Amino acid sequence: MTTQQQAGQEKEQAVGQVEMSLRQDGRARMAGNTQAFLRNHAPFNKMQPDALQLFADKAKIVFYAAGSEIVGPDSGKVRYFYLIESGKVQARQAGEVTVTEYSILSLGAGESFPIGAVTAGRPSTNVYKAVEDTFCYQLPADDFLVLLASSPEFNLFCTRYIASLLDQSRCQLQLQFAQRASEQQTLNSPLHGIGSRSPIAVSPETPLRAALETMSQAGVGSLVIAGEDRKAVGVFTRTDLLDRVVLAELPLTAPVSQAMSPHPFMLAEHATAYDAMYAMATHGIRHVLVTDAEGKLTGVVSERDLFSLQRVGLRQIRQSIDGAHNVEALQQAAADVRQLSFNMLAQGVGAEQLTQFISALNDALTRRVIQLNLEKHHFDGIEWAWLAFGSEGRDEQTFSTDQDNGIVFVPPEDATVDALRARFLAYALAVNKDLDRCGFPLCKGNIMASNPQWCLTLDEWKDQFATWIRTPQPDALLNATIFFDFRALYGKADLADTMRRHLLSLTASSPMFLRAMAKNALDVEPPLGKIRDFLTDLEPGQPGKIDLKKYGSRIFVDVARIYAMASGVHNTNSIQRLRLAAQRLSIRSDEIDAVLEGLNFIQLLRLQHQYLEGEPGTQGDNLIDPDTLNELDRRILKESFRQARKIQTRLKLDYQVQ
Amino acid sequence: MLGLKKFLFRGSAQANLPDDVRASLDLWRASKAPPLDDVHFHTRYVVVDIVSSGTNPESDRLLGIAAAAVWKGAIQPDDTFYVDFSTLDGEGSTVDRELTAFLLFAAKAPLVTYHIPYVGGFLQRAFKERLGVDFQPQWIDLAWLLPSMFDDKGDSVMPMDHWIDVFGLDAGSGRRDAMANTLLLARIFQMMTVRAVSKQIDTAAHLIAESRASSFLRRTH
Repeated sequence: MTTQQQAGQEKEQAVGQVEMSLRQDGRARMAGNTQAFLRNHAPFNKMQPDALQLFADKAKIVFYAAGSEIVGPDSGKVRYFYLIESGKVQARQAGEVTVTEYSILSLGAGESFPIGAVTAGRPSTNVYKAVEDTFCYQLPADDFLVLLASSPEFNLFCTRYIASLLDQSRCQLQLQFAQRASEQQTLNSPLHGIGSRSPIAVSPETPLRAALETMSQAGVGSLVIAGEDRKAVGVFTRTDLLDRVVLAELPLTAPVSQAMSPHPFMLAEHATAYDAMYAMATHGIRHVLVTDAEGKLTGVVSERDLFSLQRVGLRQIRQSIDGAHNVEALQQAAADVRQLSFNMLAQGVGAEQLTQFISALNDALTRRVIQLNLEKHHFDGIEWAWLAFGSEGRDEQTFSTDQDNGIVFVPPEDATVDALRARFLAYALAVNKDLDRCGFPLCKGNIMASNPQWCLTLDEWKDQFATWIRTPQPDALLNATIFFDFRALYGKADLADTMRRHLLSLTASSPMFLRAMAKNALDVEPPLGKIRDFLTDLEPGQPGKIDLKKYGSRIFVDVARIYAMASGVHNTNSIQRLRLAAQRLSIRSDEIDAVLEGLNFIQLLRLQHQYLEGEPGTQGDNLIDPDTLNELDRRILKESFRQARKIQTRLKLDYQVQ
Repeated sequence: MLGLKKFLFRGSAQANLPDDVRASLDLWRASKAPPLDDVHFHTRYVVVDIVSSGTNPESDRLLGIAAAAVWKGAIQPDDTFYVDFSTLDGEGSTVDRELTAFLLFAAKAPLVTYHIPYVGGFLQRAFKERLGVDFQPQWIDLAWLLPSMFDDKGDSVMPMDHWIDVFGLDAGSGRRDAMANTLLLARIFQMMTVRAVSKQIDTAAHLIAESRASSFLRRTH
């Protein structure tokens, strides 16, 4: 290049630079023009100058003639955030699924859309259409996200809006699952829409012959026995006919009340299919009677009705569990439990119910393993119970939960404790191994009944608890977080109750211990960053990930345990603990609801992560990368962590922990 | 005042132009005009308004230019231009550079304005006298086009404020600066292109032809 050319180029640049600078002047003027509008509308009028400048610098102005579509589900991932300058826009729900309270919404000057979709980086669920000639400011999605991150006021505005879309996020989640599970009907539908509306009912005095004729004529397999007030007193089924009439040689002239199963399980009409399903799983029954507000019979929901909602039937699983004669059969049942849980997750059952549900079926599974092994081990005449600890003890099992169990026994007066313990240990080892084969991995920390440390007599457990509470050393506190969440899974439940009463009487008189627990619970803080949304480098060897158990649900669980012990709550489930403790400690219910909402969301994310992202057949972990979440879920997760921090702060104040 | 007038209209002085201005003008002359047969969405229109000391392009002074590009269906904030000559107290070559910069910015795109004789008159004189450029862009005149496109809303050439009222645009209160005016024009232009498409006037070439025809018809009939 010659010197002349170079000089020419430099001078060309002089005009070029002038052009650049005049373009900037133009932009600044246009931005000033835009700002004048923004200053008249919330939330922009409250935003800092820098944020307004960012919006004004980047916002294009677009025109939509009356009748034209601005953005809709077919437009794909939303590329712009729209702020209406003038005109009117109608938001209409696309498709049949209603995700928000409104179906048509009219937006005017100063209102914006589609906040949820642009935040989450997904297509809009609504169709936005100009109903009048409309001008909009159009902010590119990337700039919108920058604004969201840099302006607390704008963030708050959008977060509040999105908070009202919490349920929508759940719908999104369900949609994902629904594509994998073929089921469509929701388990959240109330019972009054399910099952038989006009159940066949007879009075308790009806002779058996008449009752059987009624059944035969109506072609039904069961009858409800109800008084004149239409309040059900029993159920009579074909199974009862065999066991209680034929085999019991009951004359057909006897009243049906003598052959019926009394105390039928009843649910109110507004209870959900899920509730009925849970009841059937828990009680091993196949019919649930539906009643109105006054307790009068209005319907019957059978397992068959619910089966139509489910691919994997509940009763089938219960039956296969209860009828299993070896571990192989139980392994299949365990796989079914997972499939069923997955279907339920797909159908929108919340985390609280779902974890309880998994626990209920896992309990049944575990009980069967315990029973099967009792065929080779006999403990006749000895009072004992199989205890579940940790998440199992709290009814909070997710898809990947390892074993945490123990045994409590009361040695008869003439027995040697150690010899008896040796027998229990041999038995427990067999159970632990079988549970492992059924998908409950052996506990890495060896918190299992086959460990002599956790196979103790009632007095030993009491002493153990007392020792931990008297000397709240770190390992004692750690043990407390596992062992104080116990419940009896099999055997004599009274033993567990005795242990609980003992424990609560000890903790009630040991404020020092609770304070040490509180201090311990505050060691781990929710991973909220001061600059970034999340701290993702807390797990060694797992950069970019957050352990949702360690830094999420465990915080809630730890706080719940302390408040439960402080207020004498017998429950082990964290949600129940928090609800009951809140009542006793006069914590506002809306405050505790927000906390539970946070815990539930984290649990839901864990379940989703374990099921959707785990390799088939392997144990899922709790490590999620927040960057892989959509913006909406990220925001809700952040809010959930804030709730964790809030409840920690409360604990800190209550126990004066620095 | 007189000094400024001297800067802006110093007579034919192309020979005295700084090298960089001449080089840029050569570049501009050699550049190809964008095609005019594409649909409005893909065409870059430059909406332009000026500030002047009076209404006579022959005797009054050009004080500023405000321009904003409309393309891909939007007024693009990063494709705008504003120059203010009124506070200028530097040497004449600054004005030359700024005027040349406008040519580079416009890049031979069709220019949209309100009332060509006024806006075009001032620009033509400035470019002629300062840069020796015969400025003959493809003009689209909203003053003539609007009554032809929106004959339901006005049937003759009217002040721009009439259209601002008719379209219910918020023009703010008090004096508008040139950029505010340009942005209002740009909005009106956006509305007009929608109307134009419904009349099968769907390319820049069509629009330019329609603009010429409407002003010709109105003037001669």
